Amino acid sequence: MTLRLLPWDYGIRNLARRPVRSLLTLAALATVVLLMLVVVGFIRGLETSLAVSGDPDVMLVYSLGAEENIENSAVPARTAGVLEASLSGIRQRSGVAYVSPELYFGTRVGGGDVTSLGLVRGVTPTASLVRRSVRITSGAWPGPGEILAGRLAHAKLGVPANALRPGSTVTFENRDWTVSGTFSAGGSAFESELWCRLPDLQSALNRQDLGLVALTLAPDGSAGEIDLFSKQRKDLEITATPETAYYGAMQTHYKPVRILAWAVVALVAGAGAFAGLNMMYGAVAGRTREIAALRAIGFRRRAVLLSLIQEGLVLAAAASLLAGTAALLLINGLSVRFTMGAFALRVDGTTLLIGCGVGLLLGAAGAVPPALKALRRPIAESLKAI
Amino acid sequence: MLNLTHHAAAVGALSVALLAVGCGAPDGDAPVTDAAAPTVQNAAYLAPTEPEGAKGVGAVKESVEDGDEVTVVGLIGGDRAPFVDGLAAFTIVDPKVPYCAADEGCPTPWDYCCQQDKVPANSATVKLIDADGKLVAENARDLLGIDELTEVVVRGTAEKDDAGNLSVLARQVYVRK
Repeated sequence: MTLRLLPWDYGIRNLARRPVRSLLTLAALATVVLLMLVVVGFIRGLETSLAVSGDPDVMLVYSLGAEENIENSAVPARTAGVLEASLSGIRQRSGVAYVSPELYFGTRVGGGDVTSLGLVRGVTPTASLVRRSVRITSGAWPGPGEILAGRLAHAKLGVPANALRPGSTVTFENRDWTVSGTFSAGGSAFESELWCRLPDLQSALNRQDLGLVALTLAPDGSAGEIDLFSKQRKDLEITATPETAYYGAMQTHYKPVRILAWAVVALVAGAGAFAGLNMMYGAVAGRTREIAALRAIGFRRRAVLLSLIQEGLVLAAAASLLAGTAALLLINGLSVRFTMGAFALRVDGTTLLIGCGVGLLLGAAGAVPPALKALRRPIAESLKAI
Repeated sequence: MLNLTHHAAAVGALSVALLAVGCGAPDGDAPVTDAAAPTVQNAAYLAPTEPEGAKGVGAVKESVEDGDEVTVVGLIGGDRAPFVDGLAAFTIVDPKVPYCAADEGCPTPWDYCCQQDKVPANSATVKLIDADGKLVAENARDLLGIDELTEVVVRGTAEKDDAGNLSVLARQVYVRK
């Protein structure tokens, strides 16, 4: 015996019969889905930024006491030369070793009318060999007294994007620096930084040492070789770690933030479920007689229940579509500042799947309890209901 | 009744099969290494008896010249990660240098963070080499079944650079119990 279902368009027409209630439910569901997309986009953006920041072939050599914080590191200036001369496992091309001596630190940076904490990296031309993801998107490599601004550096500084256009001026360490160009780095943490010439930065800071040395391993080179060298050369007081491990440790550092964000997702989903239930209770309670009438003319409980779930799902699908479109147009790529720099909110496939999936679940599950309650009442009693 | 008997037999057979799987040999091809019970793999690198005349790292470092034969004793440590990944090399510290006590709240006492200034003068790197004189390409922790703060005695050739850093090229390591 087959189940006689209510016509598909019955549920759709029902939504149009109560436009205000349907619109309110739609708005509530869309808000819930949008909130979820924002939070999941935040988590995805943070994770992506840290995940793509490490190059598996790059080793970072920095001072032993820096405790996995390169900003606190100071190594002798000769370290880059010593590493290059002592190790055979470093990649080379045309006699140039892929060794990038760098000075990296946070300082107050003035851009436009705002002064805030920025991240500055002093580099040499070999940085372009080691930092393979970096691409100059406008302008040119920095000359004396110039800086190259990362794509998200303006977000980290809290200034408008045009404050870091080529030709603009920023101030740090009591000097004015002209922006020579901008760069992207595949969504990695470098995009929040300002790059300038290493000698200029050393001169501005009155420092002769380096913060770290980044080097690229040759195809036959191994991380163990660099690690062993660091352990042997006690006089240099250096330690070596793969760049991926460094940013992996950062991911661990931000684990509480990610847990908190997932907790917010759960709370928003929970609140959304209650809101959805409330709306659906209201929607179904006003239709007790209609439901009883459907049963009286021969439709089974299951058929009526399926029709109500269909209504909820149609609303939830429309809400997910609205929220997804809004998220892609308004939120995707939005810059977020955090201690380590800035990252872009990421509304990708996974984000949409989680946000819209929970939205559809709310639509379907929200309709079930009030519908069951209405269907349990005797038909005669329901037909008399006001 | 017949069905019940069949079910009981099936459950019994399944239980026996599960027990047989559970009691079998451990998975994986890698043999379990343990210093207390040397395997064929690591026995070649573990000295059966303690070399005589061992001196602490600090004393050896003061007197040794590059290329000398030395016997040195030390505790594995001096770094938060004293073992080198993928290579049979590790750092040792003179036993006379006290490492952080448990009540000092140090999660990695083998890095000697409470005596950091004494580490450079009292530490050395041990590199385990094979019969061809090449550094063994396997983590010493797994190869020898040793751990941080294990006391070892090493006999080998000293490698000392101009900055006074000492490495010992050894073919075997004796693990003090």
